[in-house]
Amino acid sequence: MTDDKDVLRDVWFGRIPTCFTLYQDEITEREAEPYYSFPEKDLLHCPSKDAIEAHFMSCVKEADALKHKSQVINEMQKKDHKQLWMGLQNDRFDQFWAINRKLMEYPAEENGFRYIPFRIYQTTTERPFIQKLFRPVAADGQLHTLGDLLKDTCPSAITPEDGEKKNQVLIHGIEPMLETPLQWLSEHLSYPDNFLHISIIPQPTD
Amino acid sequence: MAEEPESGLQLPPSSTTDGEGPTEVSPETATPEPPSSAAVSPGTEEPAGDTKKKIDVLLKAVGDTPIMKTKKWAVERTRTIQGLIDFIKKFLKLVASEQLFIYVNQSFAPSPDQEVGTLYECFGSDGKLVLHYCKSQAWG
Repeated sequence: MTDDKDVLRDVWFGRIPTCFTLYQDEITEREAEPYYSFPEKDLLHCPSKDAIEAHFMSCVKEADALKHKSQVINEMQKKDHKQLWMGLQNDRFDQFWAINRKLMEYPAEENGFRYIPFRIYQTTTERPFIQKLFRPVAADGQLHTLGDLLKDTCPSAITPEDGEKKNQVLIHGIEPMLETPLQWLSEHLSYPDNFLHISIIPQPTD
Repeated sequence: MAEEPESGLQLPPSSTTDGEGPTEVSPETATPEPPSSAAVSPGTEEPAGDTKKKIDVLLKAVGDTPIMKTKKWAVERTRTIQGLIDFIKKFLKLVASEQLFIYVNQSFAPSPDQEVGTLYECFGSDGKLVLHYCKSQAWG
């Protein structure tokens, strides 16, 4: 004998033509749920692993364009590029750094890279980030510091002499001392894409 | 080939995007420009000084990609690469599904959300930013 479930199943699969009517008191006035759609304005699409690899390699190439006029990355073979990506993808520190260390070298006669690859992210602006040409070494041979970079790119982030600390300057979630040489930060604290991603956030008030 | 005007031509304002791709950040001090039709207008005089709103971009085709009749453009600094890609595709009458890649220094493809102003600051030369465009991945 057919029970409710069987009838419902037939309705579900369209085997019984059905017409539904709602009673007035079953109808509630409610705002339609916002339709979830891909946030085109905030996120890039991620169609495939190859797309991520291409994006990562482009970032590494852009960093090397700044550091070495692309000489080091261009001298590498395709298999070296592949090793860089595979090392990152598979979380293989030694595999990654076997290649990445070459990107961290510079000519003996220089004191550092040509320009430092960096991006500064702030909460107080609509701009996606700040990226400019900035040399690691000053004309007099002194190493530029993180503080020097901030003074040049976003001076408002620096606490004045007697002022209250308004911001935190973070790389990898930690606050390096502003006296840290930028060249050292670039060699040792860059992200895998060889960029220094620097966040400036309001000082937490706890 | 028609002679190119001395000054760069003005890229149509961003308000005519299809809604695809990231929106460009609007410059804080700009007054909204009336959306123009596809008609190109001659570049306006730029105020002297470092903070020109527009930068000169030179577009070069790679391989068998169609060559743009007008190669030199004055582009708002905050225009994104994606915005530029959309513009070139429209200009070349490419189908939306066709891909277009843009390269800087013939070596890397900048992220679609990157602003041309930043690229000009870092990789511009002789007062302009040279970008190569291609329907396929030319430099990986």
